[in-house]
This record gives sequence, C-alpha cells and structure tokens, in this order.
Amino acid sequence: MLRSLVSGFILAAAGSRANVTRTILSCAGITIGVGALILIVTGGDVGERFAKSFAESNAGVAATYTVDVYDESGGTLEDLDALEADLRRAGAQAVSINSMSEAQMRIGEEEVEHAYTTVVDAELGDIRRITLASGRWFDDSDTHSLAPVMVVNEGLAKQIGGDGRLQVGIEGQWKTVRVVGVVEDSAMDGGSASAYLLRAPASAPLVFPDGAVPSTGTGFSVRADPEGADADAYRERLVTSASRWSSFDEDSISAYRIDPGDEINTVLTYLSLGLGGIALITLSTGMLGVLNVGLVTVRERRRELATYRALGATSFGLFIIVVTEAVVVSVVAGVVALLFCYTAVGIGGALVADYLPSDVGVYVPAQAVLVGLGSAALAGLLAGVIPAWRALRTSVVSGLRE
Amino acid sequence: MPLNSPRHAAAPAGTRPATGAAPGPLPAAHTAPHGAPLPAAHTAPHPAPHPAPRQPLLRVEGLHKGFSVDGETIRVLHECSFAVGRGEVVAIVGQSGSGKSTLLNLLGLLDEADGGTHVFDGVDVTGLREHRRARLRGDRIGFVFQQFHLLERRTAVANVCVPMVLGGVPLLRRRAVARELLESVGLGHRLGSKPHQLSGGEQQRVALARALSRDPALILADEPTGALDAESSELIMNQLLRQASDRGAAVIVVTHDPAVAARADRSITIVEGYTRDG
Repeated sequence: MLRSLVSGFILAAAGSRANVTRTILSCAGITIGVGALILIVTGGDVGERFAKSFAESNAGVAATYTVDVYDESGGTLEDLDALEADLRRAGAQAVSINSMSEAQMRIGEEEVEHAYTTVVDAELGDIRRITLASGRWFDDSDTHSLAPVMVVNEGLAKQIGGDGRLQVGIEGQWKTVRVVGVVEDSAMDGGSASAYLLRAPASAPLVFPDGAVPSTGTGFSVRADPEGADADAYRERLVTSASRWSSFDEDSISAYRIDPGDEINTVLTYLSLGLGGIALITLSTGMLGVLNVGLVTVRERRRELATYRALGATSFGLFIIVVTEAVVVSVVAGVVALLFCYTAVGIGGALVADYLPSDVGVYVPAQAVLVGLGSAALAGLLAGVIPAWRALRTSVVSGLRE
Repeated sequence: MPLNSPRHAAAPAGTRPATGAAPGPLPAAHTAPHGAPLPAAHTAPHPAPHPAPRQPLLRVEGLHKGFSVDGETIRVLHECSFAVGRGEVVAIVGQSGSGKSTLLNLLGLLDEADGGTHVFDGVDVTGLREHRRARLRGDRIGFVFQQFHLLERRTAVANVCVPMVLGGVPLLRRRAVARELLESVGLGHRLGSKPHQLSGGEQQRVALARALSRDPALILADEPTGALDAESSELIMNQLLRQASDRGAAVIVVTHDPAVAARADRSITIVEGYTRDG
C-alpha cells in the first residue's frame, strides 16, 4: 500500500506538471471559491477585531454596566463612598465614575467649542480599552496632583498644539490642566474635542460644583464578570442597599449592560455564515468544475490510465494518482487564491488604515489560510473521487484499445 | 522449433546465440529485485552463452474466454493449452479476430479467463485478486504494444521510469536504469524527447526500454513491429531476442508477420479460438 501511495503521489505530481493547461483550467473555479472564502474569513476576522476594539473603546470590555443613580423627584444622595462600596459589593470588578462635567475648556484666551469633558477614575482604564496615541493613562499619583489632570483626545490635542496651555473651569474660575496623555480619536467622538478629567481633590469643584456629594446622583461604569453577567440582578442588589446611601426610590437606580461586543459578534457570525454560504456555493461550483474536468480528462485519459495499470499500477495506486492530481490542482488553485487575497487585503488594508483604530490591523489571518487551503484540498479530494472511481471501472483492455 | 533452428541461425550475429543447449533456471541476477546493480545485459557488450535446461515459466491448460454481446456470450478462446519456458521465444500467429490479443491479455494478467488453469512463475494466477495481479504484472511482465502506449506528455526517460516508479525503485536508481536502457536501444541522444518528437521506430524503442526496465521474466509483445518499417522492426526484434538469450526472459510475440514469426523458437497458431503448435 505504501508503494502504491508513494508511486501514486509521484505520478500524480508528474501528471499535473505535464498537463499544465488542464491544471490551469481546473484552477479557475476553485481559485474564485477559495479566494472568496479567504476574504470572508479575513473580513470576518477584521470585523470582529474592529467590533471588539470599537465596543471596548467606547463602551467597555465584557461585561460593562452603566449604572445611573439619579433622582430628580426630591430624593438625595447622601453617602457617595457607601454607594461606591456597594457597587463593588454587588459584584463589580472595577468601578469608575462616568459623568459628564459642566466644566468648559479654553486654550489661552480662546474657549474650545463643541468640547465635552467626562469625569472618570483611573479605574476606567480597567473597564474600557484605552488606546493611547501618546503619553499615558491616569495613575494613582495623579490623584495627588495640585492641578486637574486630563487625558485628551487627538482632536483636542491638535487644538492645544505644541506649547498651548489648556485650562478648565466653571463660571470663569479657570484652572490650568496637566495633560498626561492623548487617546486616539474614537468613532464616538465624531470629530469633536473631548477629554477625560480625573476625579481628584484638585478637580473636585469641577466635578461636583455643589459640594462633595452630587445630591441628585451621578453615573458609573462598572465592569462585572462576563460569565453569568446579569445587569438586572446587579441592580436588584443595589436597590436592596440603597437606603444606606440615599433616600432615592428604586426607580431612580438603573443598571444595564452596554458593551455591544456580544451583539456585534452575533451579527458578524450571521453575516459570516451568510457570506460563507455564498463562498461555499462558489467553491462547490469550482469543485464541480474540477470534477467535470476530472471526468472529461479521465475519459480522455482512459488509455493513459490503462497504460499505468498495464505497467503494474494497482487499483489503489491508480485511485491515488487520480485523486492526488485533483487535490494538487485544487491546492495550487488555493495557493493562487491566497496570493491574490494577500495582495487584495494588503491594498485594501492600506486604503482603510486611516479609518481603523491602530490596534486593528488588516491582514489575512492564519485561520483564513487554513480554511482556504483546507477547503481547496477537500474540494479536490471530493472532486477527484468520482473520476478516480470511473477510472477504476474501466477495464485495462478496453482502455488500451482506446 | 528448437533453439538451433535455421531461423535462429539467420538472426544477425550478436543478437541471438545459435546454441543447441536448452536454457535452464535463470541465474540469481535475473530475478534480483531492483536496487541491485544494473543487469549485466544492460551493460555487457556481448551476450553470455545461454545456460542449461529450460524450465517452464508459463503454463496454461484449458484456458477459455468469452465476451457477452447483447446478452449472448461469444466464446473467443476455447481450451488453450501450452507452456512457455524461460528464455524461449514464442510467436502467436493467426488471422485477425482469431483471439491472439485476447490470449495475450490473459497471459499478461490484463484480463481474467472464464476458466482453465494459468500458472505463471510458479504462481497459479487463476482467480488471483486484482492487486496481486497488478503487482505481478508490474514486477515480472514487460509489455510492448503495437501502438506503443507511451505517455504523451512525458519525456522518453520519464516514460521508461513509470514501471520503476510503480515498483518503488528509488529516483536516482531509476533515472540511471532508464538512461542506460535508452542508450542500449540507441536513444541516448533522445532522453528528453517526448513521444510526438520521436519517429514510430524510436517510440517503439522507448516502449521496449520501458518493458525491460523491471528486468521482466516474461515479455509480451503485441504486433511490436506492426507499425514500423523494416529497419526498425529488425532492431526491435533483435532487442527482444537478445533479452531472451541474455536475460532468460520468455518472449511471446503476437504477429502477422511471417518474418517475425520465423525468428521465434516456435509458433503457436490460433484458429477459431483453439491453439495448436506450429
């Protein structure tokens, strides 16, 4: 059997080399199908990574809840520290205040228009994906800073310029800001200038102008264990302890999951399945092409195959020769498709690079190569079996008489 | 017809020794598997005298074969019985449609008989499984076809290599053997030529080199000179006879050509599916 296998491979490789035209003709359908499959897997992979990056940058990693504790009907938030302790006790792995500040910004004497400031804790870096263009994210030392500390986005950093001085203030009381980092613009910024302002003693008047505790409440970003994450259950736990830190009614407390990664992945999965189905249909068409060419060539090659048998090829050896030729043809087609895809993805990646986060590279992933070449080989195998079977059915004598 | 018949004496010198001695068992080198040094016949300029008593390589008894046409079985061969010894050259003659090629196909294990006994090289091949028949065919039998049956898109060397590839002969070894065989049939300068670049005679010489590549015990030639001119026919026949004399191979030639039949040790005539000597 080993002898038949080895001789089958050798003669099949020689046959594929010798029948270049047939090989190229057979390649076309498989090349298109495999190319489509590789591009779909690549697109799915890029899409998934982009979706993950987008979701984690703008909403949070899995699982992130937005918790709003806010009451306009007369209740008051009395103990912010107790609230934050309960946020952790209820199951949070990381907690950061996440509240829009009313503070305004100016550069020199010129106010920054359409800018918004979000008050956060350093822990937000454990909740969201922070992609820094330069500098760093907040750390513990920043909470002791005498000046408010900010991380700005690229849009705002551009406006500040090399030696511009950013100030932040409310009602004309301006404080000079220490900018420690610049985050990449995210899709959520919409081209505006934005900044994260670290909650710290130096920024307290900007965060809660009315005093140490925002009596009407505030908002938080909370990261929970994605395994079994349940925002409703989390809210219920907060509600049961709400009397420790507020006189809010339970309707004033909300918690909902905001990371869209799962939903996007679900959409991408369905999209990939749909496109993958189309690619499989294309691949099947290509496979039928190889099958057809295989059947035609087996008919044309009855004499050649009969000669092999007359010279000592066993049925198994002949089967290996014909199937291997089909597999060789298909894998060659797969490699051609892969080269096309590498080129196309390289060009496409260069064109869209400016619109993607820097941590989302556009490349052909390993699984696309495996899927592409694997499906090419499988298509060749399937397409080779029928012609091989037909070749075996032909008697040696009638084959030689062709 | 004995070996020292006038037909053998008429053969060109150096192609077939006109000895009266019947050939005996093949020397060990004749049956040595590939991987051993090249057979002496491929390199020795002069054939050695043919040794001792001839032993049967092939024996058929009561072999018969029919084909089904429109539900009706037409018997082509009836009760064929004969034996062929090692080193013997036998011509099978008969009219067209008499069953010569069918018999050759049975002897070459390309087809299966409907009944009778067929012993080849000590093995009863009647009812042998297909892969065993294929193996035996590849290892012990060489074919020379009237239509050559060369692989069209392969070079002469590649064509000669095919039986050796199927036989698991290592690459370098089979290349060397193929080159040497092609040189021995006068095609050393056409190693890289493909069949369509060769004349009919050259193609048949490539086919002959291919048939000899596994040093077969039996060579079956179906009208080997049918498509060739006189000079090429002479060359092919000389090579076949030399293989019998030097290597002890049994050679069975199906032919219509009396000149070819005359060079065999004996003839088997097929008349309406029955064999008879002479």
